[in-house]
Amino acid sequence: MNSSEILKKLQQIVGNDFVSNSQEELYIYSIDPGASEPRSIDFVVMPENEEQIQKIVNLANKEKIPIIPMGGGLTLSGLVIPVNGGIVLDMKRLNRILEIDETNRYAKIEAGVSAGQLFSHLEKNYPNLEVSIPDAPPSVTIAGNTLIHGSGFLSQKYGNHGDMLNGLELVLPNGEICRVGSCAVSDHWFTRGPIPDFIGLFTSSFGTMGIATKLSIKLYPKPKMRDLVFGIYKQPELSTQLIWKVTQTELAEDILLGVQGKPDWMAGYVFIITYITGKNQEELDKKEKKLKRIYRKNGARYMKAPPRIREVFLEKPQFAAKAADFRKGGGFEYVGSFFPLSQTNEAIKRGIKISEKYGIIPTLGARVIDRAHNVMVFFSYSFNRADPDDMQNARNALHDTNVMSLELGGIPWKGELGAQKLILEKMDPNYKYLLETIRNQLDPNRIMNPGNWEVK
Amino acid sequence: MKLEEFSDIIHRCFRCGYCKFTYDYADFNCPSYKNFRFETFSTGGRMWLIYALMNNEINWSQRLANILYSCTTCGNCMENCRFDKFNDFLVDIIEIARIEAVKNGFCPEKQKSLLERTLNPEFYNPYGELNSDNQLLKEQYALPETAEWVYFIGCTSNYRQKDLRDATLRFLKKTNINFTLIDEHCCTSPLIRTGQTESVKEIMEYNIDQIKATRAQKVVTSCAGCCRTLKVDFQKHDIDMDVEVYHTSELVNELLEKGKIKFGSNFNKTITYHDPCHLGRHMGLYEIPREVINKIPCVELNEMKRNRENSWCCGAGGGVKIGYPDWAVNVSKERLEEAKKTGADMVVSTCPFCKTNLKDANENFDMDLEIIDLIEIIDSLELKLD
Ligand SMILES: Cc1cc2nc3c(=O)[nH]c(=O)nc-3n(C[C@H](O)[C@H](O)[C@H](O)COP(=O)(O)OP(=O)(O)OC[C@H]3O[C@@H](n4cnc5c(N)ncnc54)[C@H](O)[C@@H]3O)c2cc1C
Ligand code: SF4
Ligand code: SF4
Repeated sequence: MNSSEILKKLQQIVGNDFVSNSQEELYIYSIDPGASEPRSIDFVVMPENEEQIQKIVNLANKEKIPIIPMGGGLTLSGLVIPVNGGIVLDMKRLNRILEIDETNRYAKIEAGVSAGQLFSHLEKNYPNLEVSIPDAPPSVTIAGNTLIHGSGFLSQKYGNHGDMLNGLELVLPNGEICRVGSCAVSDHWFTRGPIPDFIGLFTSSFGTMGIATKLSIKLYPKPKMRDLVFGIYKQPELSTQLIWKVTQTELAEDILLGVQGKPDWMAGYVFIITYITGKNQEELDKKEKKLKRIYRKNGARYMKAPPRIREVFLEKPQFAAKAADFRKGGGFEYVGSFFPLSQTNEAIKRGIKISEKYGIIPTLGARVIDRAHNVMVFFSYSFNRADPDDMQNARNALHDTNVMSLELGGIPWKGELGAQKLILEKMDPNYKYLLETIRNQLDPNRIMNPGNWEVK
Repeated sequence: MKLEEFSDIIHRCFRCGYCKFTYDYADFNCPSYKNFRFETFSTGGRMWLIYALMNNEINWSQRLANILYSCTTCGNCMENCRFDKFNDFLVDIIEIARIEAVKNGFCPEKQKSLLERTLNPEFYNPYGELNSDNQLLKEQYALPETAEWVYFIGCTSNYRQKDLRDATLRFLKKTNINFTLIDEHCCTSPLIRTGQTESVKEIMEYNIDQIKATRAQKVVTSCAGCCRTLKVDFQKHDIDMDVEVYHTSELVNELLEKGKIKFGSNFNKTITYHDPCHLGRHMGLYEIPREVINKIPCVELNEMKRNRENSWCCGAGGGVKIGYPDWAVNVSKERLEEAKKTGADMVVSTCPFCKTNLKDANENFDMDLEIIDLIEIIDSLELKLD
């Protein structure tokens, strides 16, 4: 079939209004707000339901056209820009919140539901429950975020967002519908097992294994009160011990570290913010007191945060996109790497050096995940979108950071093509064999986001 | 203004999408994104396309014009974009891109008719109605040649929502406001909003000359669109105004506050108030109409879920009513559904254009609501003068 015949077929599936191969959509979907170079696309399609997705997958198999599932498109690492052209499947019309199971504490939603939408729905209707969302803009999807092992304000306590998935319904690369998690056996989407756990197959595989259409995400009891305890210290090498001590107390809901070269008063310090929760002020005061002592004993100083700063850091989600505007240039990208706690100090130190090498004001930090079983350290590089050299400079810094992360025993998260290549170079050959075998089995025509996680 | 004037800031758009939502992220609040759903139809999409156009990465096309023209200029994006000193300009940038569309021959046909009719000396209004020089009204209401106030009726009130116009005239008369009318031409709002700006200054100058000829120091208008144009756009076009501009709700409120009028009868209805985008988000006039409503005896005001800065647009603005009539009415339908949920049986607004579109939705979809302008309620009340 030629391109216009394919267009017609797609129009028959989703209706004329929700397929485009016009220059405008092809342009917008060929580029993301990160530093990746644009890559070309053939079609943008916005399906409304699973049945339409099945038909699109069948068509793609017949015509050997790549499909790239897209949520908010905000990973910044070019993950929803096709590598070899094809159909970008914008999933945001599947946006129904299907069920909030209050007793079993989960939300069953369609894949296009945004983080903002679910968060707001719970705030209004289920004040005793909450969902962990990333500090990404509210337009990101829960699916896109959980499927890349995202993290948010409950991740220190309960793990990364991939771990919070109870189940998925997917259209597999052969067009069949498949459920994974307890929903494969039961009407309740309440847990992952006790059956072989295939949810992992679909997380951080960047849409190469199938298209999630529904998911269940865990909800948690919402504490009555929340506050933060701000601390600062000079030497990054104190970070590991400090985090270890704070997590030992089991007092923290969330722990963030930050290093920022600007504004001037922040330069030269590492910030730690420990979030605490409680039933009443007395409980919060007690926790704060304890944390202050731990900060002091481990080389950090408690800092009373002015109301404006407190407001900024207590917002959910935090307005992290501000980083894009640091230099009024409209762009930033970060390497977020998963590190073992033991490597955090060195990662921060080296991150600062990389920023300095590329003349970028250091902006890095960390989110502690799952009681410090993992620390996601992020190295952020803002750039001026209007300046190609500046963008290239940021790309170079990102590359160095990926290399550094792997050297230290970390793993770049939601890695762009370059990072994936570096990870694959280091990966156990039999892991790669397993990955390739499963993928070939599931997707013999290689229609699902080819170019990502390419072993060969 | 030219797009180049924004070349230093337009790339600041991060395409993060805050602008798509209500402030609490509960719903999409950009009417065009909510309807068309491609990223291109979001504010961020538009900013990036305009930037690409400026860099010659894309070319003018009907589709691009369509994307630019399917923005109601509702201003939700200005309210919710978090990037200060950039968010203020979002609608300006879209409107200026429309000027470029016109220059490049891509103004959609339906929107073109707004200009053709407005420039036609028989009409001077975008509706293509024979121009009313307002002489008959002046005679009917015994209005003088010179006065302290001019009531700038606006084309929608004068040719489509005459009840609203007449209510305003009666109110001004009853309250002994020393006012008159002019032989007005369109305020130019539809032309500015659709990028057809070449003759705008000339028309503005004509209107201001007419106003000055009456020696009025103040202008009152019952239209949110006229009000924004007179207050904001005239200044932007360097028009030597030297007159104070009021929206009717501001005038009523002032009279109430100064104790010059009091309401002498009850209004036993449950109502909800729809904020016109050009009065609310564009000029920050949220509380004054509500203050007036709250002074009406026995009225019950139930707010819609989305109100004030967070309002859902009626769907008519920015040339959308003429360009996409069916979709425009669907946008109003969503507003009326929200209004119904408040338990109100009356939707009150302060703009004839909102009233037109809300009424169209009310009729098309049998919504069984009453759509009325605030000044019509005021006019129906007994007024006690100081
Ligand atoms: C300012 C800023 C702050 C951020 N802060 C955080 C943070 O605190 N925590 C965090 O975790 N992340 C953060 N991020 C990164 C990223 O934006 C989020 O992880 C985001 O949730 C990704 O979701 P998305 O909907 O944008 O995914 P997309 O970019 O659309 O997709 C992500 C990946 O998932 C795949 N995918 C999407 N939908 C499906 C589907 N239905 N089926 C199969 N595959 C699918 C895509 O192909 C892609 O590979 C931040 C980003 C920004 C810009
Ligand atoms: S207009 Fe503002 S909120 Fe909208 S995408 Fe651009 S930067 Fe984000
Ligand atoms: S003005 Fe309204 S319709 Fe236009 S882009 Fe902004 S939010 Fe959307």
